Amino acid sequence: MNFGNVALAGPAHTRRPDMQAQGEDPVQEIKRLQRCINDLVSLLALPAVWSGNEPSHIVDVLLDALLRMLRLDFIYARLEKTVAAAPTEFMRVGDSCKCGLESQEIQSKLGQWFGGGSRESLPLNRNRLGGVDISIFPLPLGVRGDIGVIILGSERADFPAQTESLLLSVAANQASFALQEARLLNEQKLVSSELDQRVAQRTSELAAANEELRKEIAERRRVEHALRGSEQSLRLILDGIAGLVAIMGTTGEVEAVNRQVLDYFGRSAEEMKGWLTGDAVHPDDLPGVISAWRHSLETVSPYDIDHRMRRVDGAYRWFHARGLPLRDAEGQVLRWYVLLTDIDDRRHAEEALRASEGKLQRVIDAIPTLAWCNLPDGPNEFLNKRWHAYTGLSPEEAHGWGWQTAFHPEDLPPLMKKWQEIMLSGEQGEIEARLRRHDGVYRWFLIRAAPFRDETGAIIRWYGTSTDIEDRKRAEDAVLANERNLGLIISTMPALAWSAYADGNVDFVNQRWLDYTGLSPAQAQGWAWARAFHPDDLGRLNDYWLSTIAAGQPGEIEARLRRFDGQYRWFLFRASPLRNESGAVIKWYGTNTDIDDRKRAEEELRNAHSELARVMRVMTMGQLTASIAHEVNQPLSGIITNASTCLRMLDADPPNLEGARETARRTIRDGHRASDVVTRLRTLYSKKEPTLEPMDLNEVAREVTALSSTEIQKNGVTLRQEFADGLPPALGDRIQLQQVILNLLRNGADAMSTINDRPRELLIWTERHEGNQIQLSVKDSGVGFTHEVAGKIFEAFYTTKGDGMGIGLSVSRSIIEAHQGRLWATPNDGPGCTFSFAIPCTPKGLADSASRGRRVDSSADAA
Amino acid sequence: MDIPYEMPHCFAMQSREGRGRNQHALLSVVDDDESVRESLPDLIKEFGFAARAFSSAEEFLSSGSVDETSCLILDIAMPGMSGPELQQELKRRGREIPIIFITGQRDETTRARVLKQRVAGFLLKPFNDTDLLAAINTALQGI
Repeated sequence: MNFGNVALAGPAHTRRPDMQAQGEDPVQEIKRLQRCINDLVSLLALPAVWSGNEPSHIVDVLLDALLRMLRLDFIYARLEKTVAAAPTEFMRVGDSCKCGLESQEIQSKLGQWFGGGSRESLPLNRNRLGGVDISIFPLPLGVRGDIGVIILGSERADFPAQTESLLLSVAANQASFALQEARLLNEQKLVSSELDQRVAQRTSELAAANEELRKEIAERRRVEHALRGSEQSLRLILDGIAGLVAIMGTTGEVEAVNRQVLDYFGRSAEEMKGWLTGDAVHPDDLPGVISAWRHSLETVSPYDIDHRMRRVDGAYRWFHARGLPLRDAEGQVLRWYVLLTDIDDRRHAEEALRASEGKLQRVIDAIPTLAWCNLPDGPNEFLNKRWHAYTGLSPEEAHGWGWQTAFHPEDLPPLMKKWQEIMLSGEQGEIEARLRRHDGVYRWFLIRAAPFRDETGAIIRWYGTSTDIEDRKRAEDAVLANERNLGLIISTMPALAWSAYADGNVDFVNQRWLDYTGLSPAQAQGWAWARAFHPDDLGRLNDYWLSTIAAGQPGEIEARLRRFDGQYRWFLFRASPLRNESGAVIKWYGTNTDIDDRKRAEEELRNAHSELARVMRVMTMGQLTASIAHEVNQPLSGIITNASTCLRMLDADPPNLEGARETARRTIRDGHRASDVVTRLRTLYSKKEPTLEPMDLNEVAREVTALSSTEIQKNGVTLRQEFADGLPPALGDRIQLQQVILNLLRNGADAMSTINDRPRELLIWTERHEGNQIQLSVKDSGVGFTHEVAGKIFEAFYTTKGDGMGIGLSVSRSIIEAHQGRLWATPNDGPGCTFSFAIPCTPKGLADSASRGRRVDSSADAA
Repeated sequence: MDIPYEMPHCFAMQSREGRGRNQHALLSVVDDDESVRESLPDLIKEFGFAARAFSSAEEFLSSGSVDETSCLILDIAMPGMSGPELQQELKRRGREIPIIFITGQRDETTRARVLKQRVAGFLLKPFNDTDLLAAINTALQGI
């Protein structure tokens, strides 16, 4: 501490005179001075306390020290603003203060007196403060009080004394130094902390910037990496795009192309740079491409054009080229991205679609039906050409609901009703109605509509056709009429008609059938009809029907059918199969015709024939007799007449002898005549010369079998005929041979009349015999004959029949022998025997005919 | 043998005495049998009548004797026009001469048919002279 340099605190004019001058006690003075020195020492020790402390602490300590030392009433301090701190005020009020003011009040008063003015002009005077006079002594700190000021207040009027002033000066100096030091320290601290702060800040800033940089670098690296990656992806993408991608520079030159480009053109990227000059673009399209590309580049507008490009194999395909510029942040074009998409197929498809649409339109107009398309709620949208041509309505007249006028007024209401139903149901539907032709004629049409749905299943259109069915309807009507007719015919025709399935099950019988039998339709179906038949005939009928079905051939058989009144009548059952295209039977149709009357008539005829035959036989005998009688009667008659005349002549007067002689002569003559007749007749009867002519023995035999078949069958005998084909004509008398054949057949039938344990079968056949002869044989299954009688059977009058006359075989033999033939009999291997005769054929020449007196029949040549 | 004959109209038999009444009446015999034509006219002449013979109905019709004939002795069965047919023809002409049919046929049907018409007699050959005379007398007595 350098006392020497320290200016006394306070201005000179404020220094109060020392107390000594005022006559103070030397002991007290020594005490006071000692006290003063002590205080000074204390004050001088303060810096040590203050060292390193805050200004506020310095001030606090100082104020406390001064307050104590000087026994002040109050002490106030203010520190001026520093860099590190705002102005600070301190206030201490001593215990001995009697002003009774609070510190705040004092402070504010001081503020009033000293506030804001120059510190050098601080009044030093006594002021009234709270009713008490106070000596106010300001003590500036620092040079010109720039550090602060301390204001002391004391009630003593002599405040501050000299020694007090000294203290104060020292205190002020000390405080100023300390405060200055503190201030500087603070400032230093401040600065250093500021510096530290700055440094720290800077460091942290740097660190942050570093961090930023690191991040940026990392980011950049990442970005680069990503960029590389994205470049790769880009390349992958570019190469993966289903299109040709070219990256063009701002002047339109090729910078890069994707793999597709290379593959498509078969060239390298380098070669592709010359794309506008080579044949990559089709020559026809090239001018347009060049101009469009140039235009896009110049006006920076999107590049959009379709053109053809040459593929590696030489084929040109259509592509859609689209180019867009890539701009930077300022809007400058960086490069162009051009995508070329192969639209060749699509173009062709479009062409094809157009063509097919055109074709479809032609088809729709060509199909031979009227076609139309309606909207989902009903009105018409489209009608094909045929519709318009047919109805004569124009599209304007017909679209919407106008088409209704084309329909027949009677058919329109049901048509509209049906149309509503169809639309509601959403299902396909149809209806028939009459549509008016352009010439006014109404024809029946079949109107059909079908819904057309989209992917969601909603109906978006109704498509329909209207087909002319007038002819079909007429045909249907005709068919119906036909069917009705047919039904009528079937019901009316005078026959019982029926049909059955291929297996024989009856499925239909006509009304007459039902009326006749009195059965119900149910009773006639299937096989139930069988009960209407006579039990005796049913077995035979059934067997025949089954075999007919099996054979699949038409057949007929007679059987008795019971009438509704129980009476049985004979019917002829005929069945005929109906076949399909492959020849299989699909249905049987049959009729049952009442032949009862005919059968009875036949029966009667047969009987009549038999009777006739018998009568003829008898008559022949009778005739023979009559003929004999007649032949004989004539001469006999002559004899009687002449003899009667002779007697009369002799009785006459005179007797007529000449006459008598004449008549007698005649009588003798007639007698001879009669004898001749008998002789002649006998000859005539026994050996009538046959009239031989060429004839077909088969035909001759057939006539006999035809005449006698019914008679033979009546006796339960089955007659079979097996006439050989290709037989040459035989020489014979037709009538006589027929007599022989009839005789043989009758004999055969008679031989079986007692047979019941085996079928009665007659077989008649013809064959060639020993070259130039024809043989006819009749075989029976009858009783046959033993060897004993074998020789006798041809003898005249030999018979085994009870009612026989025994002339049959002998006469037959005579006839055959007259034919230069032979008649013989042989027993069968089985039962019965076989009679045969053989007669010569016609010789090639007819030389013998004349000598035998044959009559040559001109028709025999055809035999 | 017993030869039946029908006696129509229940006229009494005429005996030989009646012969004078119809003297010279002409009897025509029509028969295709030669022996009849040979023998019968003589018998008729013995009866006292005139007699002519014809071999067929046609011959008789074209002979011109039709009007002169008082009685016709007619065979039934002849070739060409038969006896009954000649009867029809004469009826048609309005010349109903009494007819005596003679025949060798013992046919019931023919007899029945013939007798439906008016006949003077029906004789079966051979017939005796007595029956013939009786029939002639019946015929000439008028019908």
